[in-house]
Amino acid sequence: MTTPTPMLLLLASEVTGRPVVTLSGELVAEIKDVVFERSGGRIAGFTLRNPGLFSRSRKDALPWMGVHGIGRDAVMVAGETVLIPANEIAPRKQARDADVLQDRVLTDNGRDLGRVVDVVLHSGTSLEVVGYEVEASEALGTAGRHVFIPLPDTVAVSGENLIVPAAACEFISEDLAGFGAAVGAFRARLREGAS
Amino acid sequence: MLFSHARKRDVVNTATATRVARVDGFVVLPGPARVALLRLGKVSGAGTLLAWEDVRGFGPDAVTVANDAVIRPPRDGLEQRAEDNDLEILGKRVITERGMELGSITDVDFDPETGAVTTLLTKTETIAGQRMIGLGGYAVVVSA
Repeated sequence: MTTPTPMLLLLASEVTGRPVVTLSGELVAEIKDVVFERSGGRIAGFTLRNPGLFSRSRKDALPWMGVHGIGRDAVMVAGETVLIPANEIAPRKQARDADVLQDRVLTDNGRDLGRVVDVVLHSGTSLEVVGYEVEASEALGTAGRHVFIPLPDTVAVSGENLIVPAAACEFISEDLAGFGAAVGAFRARLREGAS
Repeated sequence: MLFSHARKRDVVNTATATRVARVDGFVVLPGPARVALLRLGKVSGAGTLLAWEDVRGFGPDAVTVANDAVIRPPRDGLEQRAEDNDLEILGKRVITERGMELGSITDVDFDPETGAVTTLLTKTETIAGQRMIGLGGYAVVVSA
């Protein structure tokens, strides 16, 4: 078995407010919100607002395909031409349905693990949802504390419930530092189980 | 030669042997990173820009030009921004193409023969000039 490689992880809430900067060094906008794909497994892109304290939302958006790089301090794009009209990235209703914050995380054998307070993203060739930060329920023994629950490659999202395999409980982390390895190990376990 | 050492140097007209301006700043452009223009102060005319190709020599004591006419106003939007100091590289934040900040530019090393920018310096980093991808109003962007 190969050791899972560490992942570079970001919290969706941390991406909000980050500057969008072109490779020619111009500030285009700030990230307003993360837009999830309806499947819940990936990011469709970002809605934008103008930079500044009392800034307005913009009618354009940044699709994930237009992102050149995403790091601690900025979201980089080749140029403003990668922006698309905001209604093309997600119609208003779909964006609301795909918002997983406060949704309940249920295991496939029916345990309520808690409610989602943030989404953990992995930045690679796509921006993938790899876990949820959850306010733990009584079922976890760490009730009320925030913990990180890893996700499989695909996850079912209904608008209220997020279903994860029961095995996810064995890979829960209390901090983000160790979570990348937990996601890798959890997914390796699921693949072994499937083969 | 560092920008910090090259600033304030006199610009001398070799035809008249008179001092015609002083170097106030440098306009760097990417691809490849080079000093494209000098921003001048203490000029007698309206123009404050001097294109690198109009510099006869960038010596240890003075910058020489063949005549005063090469000191000119901006010719396009980019040069106007340069004159307005919007593209000043010193003090500008450096961001990698992966979205990580590396601090702010404290000094720049360049080749006085060719104008090529060899190194960008921040408080903690020494960045090869070849890594520079872009320079705008917000940041200097460098390859990861």
